[in-house]
Amino acid sequence: MDVGLNSGQLALRDTVRDVLRTECPPGIARQAMTDPERWRTVWKTVVDLGWTELARPDVGDFGRLDLAVVAEECGAALAPIPLLSSVGLAAGALRAAGAATNDVLREIGDGVVAALAVHPPGARLPGVPMTLQQGRLRGRAVAVAELCHAELVVTLATGDDGVVVAVARTGDGVAVTPVDCINAAQPVADVEIDTTPVMTAPVDLESALATPLMAAAADLVGVAGAALARSVDHAKSRRQFGKPIGAFQGVKHALADNYVSLERARSLTYAAAARLDDPGTTPAAGWTAAALAKAAAGEAAVSCTRTAIQVHGAIAQTWEHDIHLYLRHAWQTAATLGDSRALYHAVGRRFAGDAP
Amino acid sequence: MTHTDVVAEFTGWLTDFLPNDYVQRYQQYRWDPVLRRDYQRAAFEAGWLQPTWPREHGGRELGLRAAMEIRLEAALRSAPKLPNIAGPNVAAPAIRQFGTPEQIDRLLVPLLRGDEWWALGMSEPEAGSDFAALRTRAERDSPDSEVFRVNGRKIWTTQAHLSRWCMLYARTDPAAPKHRGISCLVLDLHSPGVQIEPIRMASVSDETFCEVLLDDVEVPVSNLLGPYNGGWHVALASLHHERQMIWIMNWVEIQRGLESVRYACNAKPGTPPAREGACLHTDTPDSTVQLRTLAHERGDVFADLGSLLADAEALRATGYRALHNELANRPSPEADILKLLGSVTLQRVWELSAAAAGPGSIGDPHLLFERQDALAATIYGGTSEIQRNIIGERLLGLPKG
Repeated sequence: MDVGLNSGQLALRDTVRDVLRTECPPGIARQAMTDPERWRTVWKTVVDLGWTELARPDVGDFGRLDLAVVAEECGAALAPIPLLSSVGLAAGALRAAGAATNDVLREIGDGVVAALAVHPPGARLPGVPMTLQQGRLRGRAVAVAELCHAELVVTLATGDDGVVVAVARTGDGVAVTPVDCINAAQPVADVEIDTTPVMTAPVDLESALATPLMAAAADLVGVAGAALARSVDHAKSRRQFGKPIGAFQGVKHALADNYVSLERARSLTYAAAARLDDPGTTPAAGWTAAALAKAAAGEAAVSCTRTAIQVHGAIAQTWEHDIHLYLRHAWQTAATLGDSRALYHAVGRRFAGDAP
Repeated sequence: MTHTDVVAEFTGWLTDFLPNDYVQRYQQYRWDPVLRRDYQRAAFEAGWLQPTWPREHGGRELGLRAAMEIRLEAALRSAPKLPNIAGPNVAAPAIRQFGTPEQIDRLLVPLLRGDEWWALGMSEPEAGSDFAALRTRAERDSPDSEVFRVNGRKIWTTQAHLSRWCMLYARTDPAAPKHRGISCLVLDLHSPGVQIEPIRMASVSDETFCEVLLDDVEVPVSNLLGPYNGGWHVALASLHHERQMIWIMNWVEIQRGLESVRYACNAKPGTPPAREGACLHTDTPDSTVQLRTLAHERGDVFADLGSLLADAEALRATGYRALHNELANRPSPEADILKLLGSVTLQRVWELSAAAAGPGSIGDPHLLFERQDALAATIYGGTSEIQRNIIGERLLGLPKG
């Protein structure tokens, strides 16, 4: 087992970070909250730089750890773009079905926006919301991030011979209902589908969900790390009672606990990526590793952003301050693809031998 | 030879060493002093005790990665715990790093073979987390005197009553700032003026605390370990070694705790446990076992269990990340979460085990031991509060209070 970034991945991380620092400061996310077209210029830059090609396992030698690196930096920058949705979630589910999905992955690699619809209404965990009968894809899914910006909907369906991954084009037979959501910079919608899919391929359910879970974890690790960095900066400069507030153990220890939570999640995310790139990993082991990473990253992102609000005090309650943007991003992504408790419960139940 | 080969060789050796019924009767063997002494000696002779060290010091000059794989494998197999952990894991690395050739020659092999045990003379009644506030004095009657005269009092000195030597920290320059006036001395606990009083423990434990009273004890100047007035540095370096081991020891115990929760969730009325080592609830009456099998009472356990599985996997993955960075000559700040996370996880896993056992937890002496033992983990080797200060100040760069 090896866990960690190689020098190429560290260079990729630094490049992505540098580009986003210039192209996408946190203020862009605030603008995107109210300007529904704001994401497009950032997205064009990202597509032109070729980051969306990470969707294609048949091109280059990028693995899931490279995907995690880019997703983490986009999360840290609160980039209001569908990179996680397209490249992490939709393409992540598709690649589990093998070469049959290469044409769709090529489109996503070229920058066509895709969304992943895997939340059956009323369920906390992701699953199979659709059916496929006589070539017709039907069903409803909720909480689909970036669906409003997507040309492709990727979903899971129960067919005659088991689970398939299916792709539909938005338009006729794909009814999109936008949700007035926590983080309007990455808008969420519900979907009702009754259409002929452009592609279907048999897939293992756990494998189809594993890469999306890992990618969402990476995004949340990015948010957690960025929020903690903001808290630390503030705790060093803000003075009360004659010293920086970070000198008080009440603040210092809360931030140290955030650091533990962050690195716990980052280790699990890198380990899950390494496991998923190892062809010897069973679908169950891959799903478990990714589910634990997502659960840990959701916790880390929510606790780091909540602490950030506490440390910043009253100013954190204002629209103009950035911290609520981190909180919104954390809460929204933490609630999709399984909240932390539901994922922990599922993994614990399996470990205890209680079949779901 | 690949890592896999060397781990396989170790596994084969361990299987040959352990009694055939080791797994079935782990609960007895884990306390067996003879087995544990023999294990240390055999591991020393076979080169598995400190795998990165040279052959004469109980190793086989393996790389860090192979050494970690071997330690984790030993953990997974519940290999016997060393009877005097302070010796091989804290004193030995310090002797190798700071010792004179004469000290290494005299002290190291008897320590590693387990023939001579070691105690750590750090804490004092008025110096716990604030270790540098220690008051035990080591003075020379004249600058060219061949001996230090030591006076003071050490406490919580684990296994001092069974040890031959003590890594004793004493103040050698009262005028210097408190971190810079401390030296580390190798104290022969058989010296005149040393009085050792074992302290009764709240739990059943073979790691008994002692109080060590030092009344005009003479320690040869040649027993100085490391630089004169450089004891603070020796202490930090030896605790650094200890910290690298502590998370693996915590991880082993966490694995057993997780297994005990799994067992508690699955126990059927009247079914004896399949494996004592994995399950600590061996003496539980059937009525309690029946309680545990009710599905609706297990539901709340699963989420905590999943969270603990994440903690355990995060410990291992973080250990590997730190190693990855070390091997690439990069900083490995993530290693500083291991002590804090490992100790808290250990406590949580045994509390969950107790919850899953219901009132059966009351009458289970093994579980009582595990719960009490886990509570020490956030205190020894640097308390959790000190760990948080280290993370806050050294990693995050927050100002000192």
